[in-house]
Amino acid sequence: MKIVTKSLLTLCFGALCCLAPLSFAQTPAAAPTTAPKAITDADVAGAPVPSADARSKGDPDGSLTGTASDIAVTDTKKGATIGDLVNQVGQNKIAINFVWTLVAGFLVMFMQAGFAIVETGLCRAKNANHTMMMNFMVYGVGMLAYWLIGFAIQMGGVGAVANLGGTPPLNAEHIITLFGKPFGIFGQNGLFLVHRGTYDVSVMVLFLFQMVFMDTTTTIVTGSCCERWKYAAFIISTFFLGAFTYPLFANWAWGGGWLANLGTNFGLGKGYCDFAGSGVVHSVGGITALAVAMMLGPRIGKYERSGKSNAILAHDIVIVLTGCFILAFGWFGFNPGSTLGASGNGSLRIGSIAVNTMLAGMSGSFAAMLYMWVRYNKPDASMSGNGLLAGLVAITAPSGFVNPVASVIIGLIAGVLVCISVEFVDRVLKVDDPVGAISVHGANGLWGVISIGLFADGKSNYGGSWNGVAGSVTGLFYGDNGGQLIAQLLGVATLVGFVFTMSFVFNLFVDWMVGQRVSAKSELEGLDLPEMGALGYPEFELKAEM
Amino acid sequence: MMILVGILITLSGFVISVLSLALNSNAARLGVVLLGLAVSLFGIIGVLNRAYLKNAIWKKG
Repeated sequence: MKIVTKSLLTLCFGALCCLAPLSFAQTPAAAPTTAPKAITDADVAGAPVPSADARSKGDPDGSLTGTASDIAVTDTKKGATIGDLVNQVGQNKIAINFVWTLVAGFLVMFMQAGFAIVETGLCRAKNANHTMMMNFMVYGVGMLAYWLIGFAIQMGGVGAVANLGGTPPLNAEHIITLFGKPFGIFGQNGLFLVHRGTYDVSVMVLFLFQMVFMDTTTTIVTGSCCERWKYAAFIISTFFLGAFTYPLFANWAWGGGWLANLGTNFGLGKGYCDFAGSGVVHSVGGITALAVAMMLGPRIGKYERSGKSNAILAHDIVIVLTGCFILAFGWFGFNPGSTLGASGNGSLRIGSIAVNTMLAGMSGSFAAMLYMWVRYNKPDASMSGNGLLAGLVAITAPSGFVNPVASVIIGLIAGVLVCISVEFVDRVLKVDDPVGAISVHGANGLWGVISIGLFADGKSNYGGSWNGVAGSVTGLFYGDNGGQLIAQLLGVATLVGFVFTMSFVFNLFVDWMVGQRVSAKSELEGLDLPEMGALGYPEFELKAEM
Repeated sequence: MMILVGILITLSGFVISVLSLALNSNAARLGVVLLGLAVSLFGIIGVLNRAYLKNAIWKKG
């Protein structure tokens, strides 16, 4: 009995000990000394503003500028209201995102200058005017095509882009049904930027940013085809790329098309993911470059009858490396700008994206330099530059989804891959690619797309979902079941199988229509005079090849 | 003729990859997508490029 009593007492004591913290936890918090006061319209209207007299004396320290007096008021008699205040907050958010996206777009536009001098520097002096003019006119020709129809095909059905205020007029995607699921094929609103209400402030910002991306794609092709491409053929080919090929794949990946919806429709991760365009921009350009360069054939003197490849030297390595730096600078618009905003929906990751971008560029150039040094006993300058670009191309797709360590690994692999790919294209395929664009943009673009399926760390959060699937993009190495990798590989298969075919067939038509290649006489003389009518360097003494 | 065959093989690789979506298992999908990719690469490298190399400018001396 004594034992039973002792046991009961012990149990009661134990129960008290267990409940004690609970009771402490339920102790109500101390009441605030002052009750919260609801803000009213009168408070807003009565907010202190600097007097006209004070403002007239100037504001050297900035304390009088940007006050309650700067809030837009709907009813001047009533003064500022809570509604005005909230509207101003919303407008500030969108304004931040507009400015961010526009400035990022301006940076990407400046990359055209980088591409132009990289490609021209890697050519011979006798083709300088021709190569520069191709790089210059991709801007005009590509933009014309994109404004006429390309933007509508790409973004005409994208729906709401929350960071830019909604873009509500872009709401018509042409859809077919396959395997019982909706497949978005192309957008339908936005022709000439006035069609179906697309004369809209948000649409204009989106157009500018997407246009400069498309322009990057078109300029990649000129690098592989320089020194032998007929100027008229280049114009037609570029127009088609800007009007149809690029926008179509971009719609599938970014415009609400079927690749982006592989997650919602087939449970493949978050669908095809390409944060800033390793696939959409760089692979489309690199794969089109392969199609056209294959068709054009190599430059005269590039291969001997035995099939041995000869190096045709760059005429100005100084502008080549300067161009690489310009491109690396512009890439800070390319990748961080692809958040389409700096405020809201996880946009604060812009710092992480920018750092990932610079790290992959660094490791790409370092790996390429080391590879060439070990293999050929010299740290090759042009390949070091291509290594930098390869790292940047590869990180473009995963930049928003991976951590800094993965960025360095992705860049290192890209730096080695570009060297191996250049050798493969040159010696095995015997496709003449004067600047290495097929390897830099094509091969490394595909690598960047695949790398998301491996390295995405599941830590990014752009508004709680991606491509309409809740959660964060996660790759195989961070616990995904392989669905994301399959979605990425489907994107790769589309680029290699569909985009190549589309580019090839159209350029075959151009070849039949105007001929893709210049005459042997023009090529030996240099394309500046026969094609453009003026030398790039008139005071140079240029020797024609025999 | 070889160019037409190459184009068709390259495009058929893409079609094979898309057909993987009709399957339910991820392993099967992965296998079919890779098969489609290999077919497309064969079309480009093994057929189209070979057709162009046959008449390459440098072989004519």
